[in-house]
Formats: sequence, structure tokens, C-alpha cells
Amino acid sequence: MLAIDFGPGGGVVITGRLDAAQCPTAQAFLDGVQGTVTLDCSGLEYISSAGLGVLLKTQKRLLAAGGKLRLAGVNSHLRDIFVYSGFDQIFEIEPAR
Amino acid sequence: MDERAEQRQLSAQDMKAILGVTSALAAPFDLMTMLAEVVNAAKQVLKADRGSVWLYDAPADELVLEVATGIRPVRVRAGAGLVGTCARDRKIINVPDCYADPRFDPGVDKASGYRTRCMLTLPLVDHKDVLVGVMQVLNKAGGVFDAEDEVLATALAAQCAVALQRVRMTEALIEGERLRQELEMARVVQMSTLPAAMPSLPGYDVYGTFQPAELTGGDTFDLALLDQGLLTVLADATGHGIAPALSVTNMQAMLRMAFRLGADLETAFTQVNNQLAATLPGDRFITAFVGLLDASAHRMRFHSGGQGPIFHFKAATGTCVPYKPTSFPLGAMPLSSLRPAVTLDMEPGDILVLLSDGIYEYHDAGKEQFGEERVQEIVRAHHRKSMAELSTALLESVHAFAKGAPQEDDITLVLVKRDAGAATAHRMFRRSFDSIQDIFAFTAEVFARMQIDPAVLPTVDLTVEELFTNMVKYSTMSDAAVRIDMTRVAGGVEVTLTDYDVEPFDITRAPDANIHLPIEQRKPGGLGLHLIRRLVDSVEYEYSKESRQSRTTFRKTVAGPSARAGAASGAAKTRGEDARD
Repeated sequence: MLAIDFGPGGGVVITGRLDAAQCPTAQAFLDGVQGTVTLDCSGLEYISSAGLGVLLKTQKRLLAAGGKLRLAGVNSHLRDIFVYSGFDQIFEIEPAR
Repeated sequence: MDERAEQRQLSAQDMKAILGVTSALAAPFDLMTMLAEVVNAAKQVLKADRGSVWLYDAPADELVLEVATGIRPVRVRAGAGLVGTCARDRKIINVPDCYADPRFDPGVDKASGYRTRCMLTLPLVDHKDVLVGVMQVLNKAGGVFDAEDEVLATALAAQCAVALQRVRMTEALIEGERLRQELEMARVVQMSTLPAAMPSLPGYDVYGTFQPAELTGGDTFDLALLDQGLLTVLADATGHGIAPALSVTNMQAMLRMAFRLGADLETAFTQVNNQLAATLPGDRFITAFVGLLDASAHRMRFHSGGQGPIFHFKAATGTCVPYKPTSFPLGAMPLSSLRPAVTLDMEPGDILVLLSDGIYEYHDAGKEQFGEERVQEIVRAHHRKSMAELSTALLESVHAFAKGAPQEDDITLVLVKRDAGAATAHRMFRRSFDSIQDIFAFTAEVFARMQIDPAVLPTVDLTVEELFTNMVKYSTMSDAAVRIDMTRVAGGVEVTLTDYDVEPFDITRAPDANIHLPIEQRKPGGLGLHLIRRLVDSVEYEYSKESRQSRTTFRKTVAGPSARAGAASGAAKTRGEDARD
């Protein structure tokens, strides 16, 4: 249901559904990334507030260390959720091409 | 001036005579009166005993004798005899002694008992150099026609030709108008046989429409509740004009009568075919789909005489299954045996799609046809909507495709849809994060089964997950499973989560998250309810003290907060609220 790993370009690719049950998997992976990281969301079908929590926690940790998490390939449904939750103010968001 | 030129001059007296008769030519508006006037004028001016006017029938290249005193109508080929030769050569022919001229046909005299001595035959050519006919005058009083008569006759002929042509054109106009009115009457009769209202059949959505082309075409449809079931007919008679309109009207009445008299599908189809075969002209036939729907067994049985393609849209797979006609067109020839009828099982959400070739063959200016592929695409895209809406979508697509190219044929649509089935579903879920996958499987299955617009599924999943995880996290006092109810509503779904044996917690009163805090101060908590309020159409909370039940109901439709516009207004609203804090 959820897959998260490094992609060929060095960024992180997340695919599937990031719901409350999948958060531990995503959190465990993102706890291991450093510096400025691009998260390719073009294969992310779904995110709930639990998933937003995972992204928020990761962003806080990376910013404190001088890095950051960028969100790429964000479709219009995900973008609505990011905007409604104010995440567009704390993440760089690149829309899906 | 030489003698010939002098002869061409008309005397003042001649002019007076011609003017006297031509003023009479201005009055008549019907051909018979005009022909009589022309003959009278010629007789008077040329002092002839008799006269006749042959009208030129250009398509047949023949001359027709419409009127002549004492002589019956007759047709002559251009080039044959005196009249035919005159028409072909467009030159005056003066015959002083008819019985000495081999081109003269004495048969006419024999039939009438009249004796023709001398004859002047002259072409009637109008001002646009169009041959209108040939005029003949016979037996000049006291002698033969001379060169002066020829000049006089030529001058008169020009006046007569113009007058005749005017009347002929007026008559053609009147005839055209009469024909147009008759076509209109045929159209009224044709339209009056269509169902005035769509039959109301529980569990089904039935729709038919007929859009006539400018010229009368031969389409019809019928949708009627009879003892045998829902009669479903779409038919198209060959050709344009009054005949096909009357043929289909006739066929439709025969079918209704056959079924009212208790006929089954096979009998009605065969007997109507055989009756049409006996009465329709040899080159005419009607392609027709004739079906009976048993709405309790959800079976459509049909015969189709050359009417196709027939599409059965299957909701379960989202595909259009095509069916071929079972027989040749109605009325083409008598039916001695009939293949078995085709039976379609109408599953929930299935649609029978019948369209006349006016849709499939509607072509744009580049002569590309609308075709079956486009029809299937539109059916797939709009199958969840009402059949009236699907019909509109099809017609709008056709017109958009045609880009203003005119409608050349009647367009008829018949759509029969079985309702998408039970509109409610519920299931219990164990109070655990592990249930989330099962919940998503349940929502996806219900969406597919009830044909709810999948565009609202992500929001429904998000809302259910947020509400459910809240129950798992905060209602720790209960071990009871959580019940989720889903009800299909117009354009979306209504979902209720029931939490048993819990304390009240009204989620609608929970504060919004402050989404404008600096990141260090932001916490994920509270975001779920904050999001729900912005994404769904409505959310309500109820608590029952007696049963200690919490019920949270939300509604999400495509008409609700929409993706892009909703995002902007939601964000703006939140900012405004925060500004007051």
C-alpha cells in the first residue's frame, strides 16, 4: 500500500497511500534522511493528517540542521490538503508536471 | 434600306395590335388561363383560325401540348416533326401548304376532323434566352402567312414567352410552398405519435428524444408500458420526405396495436414486417429495434430488423457491448422464419443505448463521421448521470463535433438504464489502526457498486480515516466496533460513523488549527478536523445519552467545496479567522 525509498536522482520517492496505519513505515524511513531532500509525491495517491504529521516532524528536524524537505510532483488533490493545512507556508511545493 | 430590312419594320398598326394583346398577358396567374390568352393574342394579331402552344419540358427534352382548341394533349420529342424541329433549331417555320410538307403529321387533323391548310410555327424564347415552348397558328383568314406575318409573330412570341415563363415560375413557387406545408403536416403527424411523457418505471430511468432534420426524415421511437413489459422501439425509414415519415408512423401504430391485442415479441415483429412487406413500395423499408423489457426479471428481449449498432453498457466493467440486428429491415420481404430474440440481462447501472444513424453518421465539414467510438466514450463518461443528462451530453458532443455543419438526418435517442442498485451499505470495523485498510477496501467497493463519482473518494477516505482514528485514539473507554454507514446521494455520498459506549465529543465544536504559526510551534494535532471542515459539504454530530452513542455524519458531493476554488476560499477564510485571534 505504501512504498518509500531513494529514487534514481537521489531524492526520495513515495508511492501509494500514506494513511495512519502506514505512518510508522514512512516515519522510520524519513528519520534517516539528511540535508535538503526532495520528496517525489507524483505517485502518492492519498495522505491524511497522520501523514502530514510525518512530513511536519521531518521538516522540523531537517530545518534545525540547516536542511529542508521539498515536495515535488504534487497533484491538485494533495495540493488542496497542503493549502488547507497551511503546509504551503512551510514547504516548498512543486506541482505535478 | 433593302427590302428585307423594310419588311422587319413593324407598322404602327401592328404595334398597336401587339400592345393590345400583350396588356392582356399581364393579368393571368395560372398557366391554363395564360395559355388561352397567348393563343387568343396570336389568333387576333395574325388573323389565324386556330392556335396552340406547346410547352417545353426541359428535363424530358419534350414538348407538351397543354391547351389547344379542340385538340387533346400530346407529347412530342424535340427534333421530331414541325414543332420538334422548331424547338431544336429555335427558328420560325412557315409552311404554306401543310399536306405538301413531309414534317407535317396529318394524324392530328384526322383525330380532330379539322383541316389544316397553312401553318406558322415559332419558338417561344424568353428574355434570358430560355426556350419556353413553341407556338403554332393555323389557317390565316383569306390566305397564307407571309413575311410580314413572320415579323409580327416573332415580336409577339417574345412577349408571350416572357409572360408564360413568369406564370410557370410563379406556379413552381406556389407548388414549392404547398409541398413545404405538406411536409410540415407530415412532421406534425410524425411528432404526435411520439410519447408525450417518459413512462415511469420503478428501478429504471427511461429516456427518448427525437430531433428532426430540416427535411422530413423517417425516424421514430416508442417507450410505453404495456402488459408485456416496457415496449422499446427505435426505427428509421429509408429516404426523406413525406413517405418515410408516414411509413414509420404507420409501423409504430401497428406495433402498438399488435401488442395491445396480446401479441408476443416474435408475433408482433413478424406480423408487422409481413404487413409492411405487403404494403410498402418495393424500394422502401424500415430499420427497427423492437424490444420488451421485463422490469422484474431485468431482462430486455429484442428483435432488430437492420437497426444497429445496439449497445449494452455494462456498469460492472464500464464497457459497451455491441449487438447486431437479428433480422433484415422491416418490410423488405416477408419473414418465413425468425432467429431467436436476443436477451440482455440488465444489471444494476446497465444502460441500453439505441441511437439512429443520424448520430453515428453526423459528419463535420471535413466529412468525418461522429462514429461509434465517440458515442461509447460519452456513455462511459456520463453513465452515472440521469438518462436525460446523458442524452444532452450526446447531443452537445455531436454539435460540438460538427462545428456548425448542418444536421442532414433525423436524430433519435432511446436510453434505458437500470438504477445503480441499493443506495445504502454498512459494515462494522474493529477499533484499531489495523482496520484502516479494511475501511478503504469497503469505501472503494461501495463506490464501485453504487457508482458514486470516484472524484469524491479521496476526500471521503480522508474524512473517514480522521474520524475513525479519533475514535481509536480518544474513545479508549470502549471496546465496541465502529459502524460505518454509506448512502448514495445525488452527486456523492453521505457517511455516518457510529461510536458505541463512549463519552460525548462534538467534533464540530473542536477549534481550527492555527496554520499560520511558525513551524517550530506547529503540531500535527487538530489538523484532521481542520481539514474535514474545509473538504466536505457538511458535517454533523449527534450524541445519545441513553445508548451512549456518538454519531458523526458527513456529506461529500461533486457540487460541494471543489478542489481549486475551495482551496483558495478555504485558505482565505482561515486567514481571516486567525487575524481576529
